[in-house]
Amino acid sequence: MAQILEKNKLDEMIARLNGDGCEVFGPRKNDTSSWYGKISRAEEFCFDQILPDRPLKELFFPRTEPMMKYEIKKQQVDAENYVLPKKQRVIFGARPCDAVSLTIDDALFAWDACDEFWFERRENSVIVSIACNKKDDFCMCTSLKSSPDVSTGSDVLLHELVDSAGWRVSAITPAGQDFIDKLGDVFSTTSTDVSVKPPAEVPVKFDLDAVIRKLNSPEIFESDFWKTISVRCVGCGVCTFVCPTCHCFDIQDEGDVYHGVRRKNWDSCSFAMFTRHASGHNPRPDQASRWRQRIMHKFNYYLERFGQISCTGCGRCSRVCPVDMGVTQTLVTLSTNGGK
Amino acid sequence: MGNTLEEHIKRTRQLLECGEVAMVIGYERGSVENRRRATFVKEVSELERMVLDGLCCENLANYLVREELLRSFDGKKVAIFLTTAGVRSVNILAAEGQINPDCVIILGFEAEKPGELDSAIKMLDGEHVDHYADSIQQLKSRGFVNDRAQVIVKLEMMSAEERFAFWREQFSRCVKCYACRQVCPMCYCRRCIVDCNQPQWINASAHDLGNLEWNLVRAFHLAGRCVGCGNCERACPAGIPLMLLNQRMAQEVLKEFNHFAGESSTQLPVLADFKKDDPETFIL
Repeated sequence: MAQILEKNKLDEMIARLNGDGCEVFGPRKNDTSSWYGKISRAEEFCFDQILPDRPLKELFFPRTEPMMKYEIKKQQVDAENYVLPKKQRVIFGARPCDAVSLTIDDALFAWDACDEFWFERRENSVIVSIACNKKDDFCMCTSLKSSPDVSTGSDVLLHELVDSAGWRVSAITPAGQDFIDKLGDVFSTTSTDVSVKPPAEVPVKFDLDAVIRKLNSPEIFESDFWKTISVRCVGCGVCTFVCPTCHCFDIQDEGDVYHGVRRKNWDSCSFAMFTRHASGHNPRPDQASRWRQRIMHKFNYYLERFGQISCTGCGRCSRVCPVDMGVTQTLVTLSTNGGK
Repeated sequence: MGNTLEEHIKRTRQLLECGEVAMVIGYERGSVENRRRATFVKEVSELERMVLDGLCCENLANYLVREELLRSFDGKKVAIFLTTAGVRSVNILAAEGQINPDCVIILGFEAEKPGELDSAIKMLDGEHVDHYADSIQQLKSRGFVNDRAQVIVKLEMMSAEERFAFWREQFSRCVKCYACRQVCPMCYCRRCIVDCNQPQWINASAHDLGNLEWNLVRAFHLAGRCVGCGNCERACPAGIPLMLLNQRMAQEVLKEFNHFAGESSTQLPVLADFKKDDPETFIL
């Protein structure tokens, strides 16, 4: 027995969800870019891309968002916290690698202080992922011991039917089951098994355990490897901003002397400014040390602190790098003979 | 005399063998079939990984002003593969006192159909930046004949409100990754205005206002300096058509001041120079 969601029922699904005060988000596209955005009609969905250019984290951790506003008066300072509007959301059509990224960042945002913006949105969102049956040269989820149909981080997982007319629906979490129950007859039930497309065959590009071992070896930190591998890096923030798990931010006050807004903005360890001290000293003085930090953070420090690798294998960093660098080549080299 | 690719390669080998250059900056195969990327060759034995075809589009002049690389030049010259746009960047960097043009040996080339693998490659004569004056003049006299010119005309026909809405929508996708700045040979400032916060001239946030401020400041800073290599637009992860802005500014500067960016290594910068008999009174 299987539950089916037919593609021609998507408009009905959106209307039902909207009617219950729930917003729908999903993969969208225009001439020049693609992203997870708000959807009001089924035709706005774009499911035929490998994955959107911009990662799912945007919907939970926007590139810029207000935290509070303040006003400085003669005797006092008035501060007013920014309160997120409580909105139920369904993110329909996420890629499994993007869904995984949310569980990775949960650990960070719950670490020493609980990031209320992140968790407010997490609690109010149901993630409906679609297993990948296509891949490109940059996909590397399998290298990260994940897979194109991994269910981690998803509340519901969909597999596309062989005839492409819809998806087989599987509840992963209680929230996912609840989503399915509420929509009821939007889904159809078959008494027989249905055939779904097989997951994409994503080749393994490197041995993750070898990478982890190499990064643990005492000589790697001071190795010239970092200089060699990052020689063409120009120090932009593209790889970090399209990364579904990169979570560094900067807090900025915008306004004049007397009032303003405190905002939380994406920041990047690739930027020279990221670690520059007020004195002018920079503990990461060159691109090689910044690139080392990026790799060490994802595949060593994060693992040590949270027991997870901070990479989902989505491949966006390598896909968009303007100088064709990206994380993949570094990992492949580390796992073989590089970094001696 | 028409240089061939073989002659360029022979020349690079010579330069490395006799120790005249510390490094050759060129192209190699990228991570996937249709990609080429910068390569930095210090030994003759590494020359074999270099390639040159229609996919070699990146303007490598950017690497001439990267601090970390400069340190490794060790006072020696550097040889670099450049298109005419790249040569123009070298002229500007020399005119603005950023590099010594005598230390750069240019191996000039031009793809007939840039971006296409099977494009024919024409090698350009010369080594010193001054040798490329003719190629640059040819480019100048050709004017801006490309598909962009037509789009610019369309944009010109819009009302100011429509045009503003167009750019606002484009810039709304900007995430302030600064890839446009980092790949631009003209963006060599040690400290960019967006990285200054005492005072904060430009909002650091990637909201509508901050994005508009950043992209407009950059467009003005490049007016009369942009050589049209397209590095910024290719790098933009949000697909913002940055070359529309840059080309429009270049057209304006050419029309008003007969200034073609990077015409020579002694060219005065159009927006940082004045004449005492300038008819406009607001400057002095």
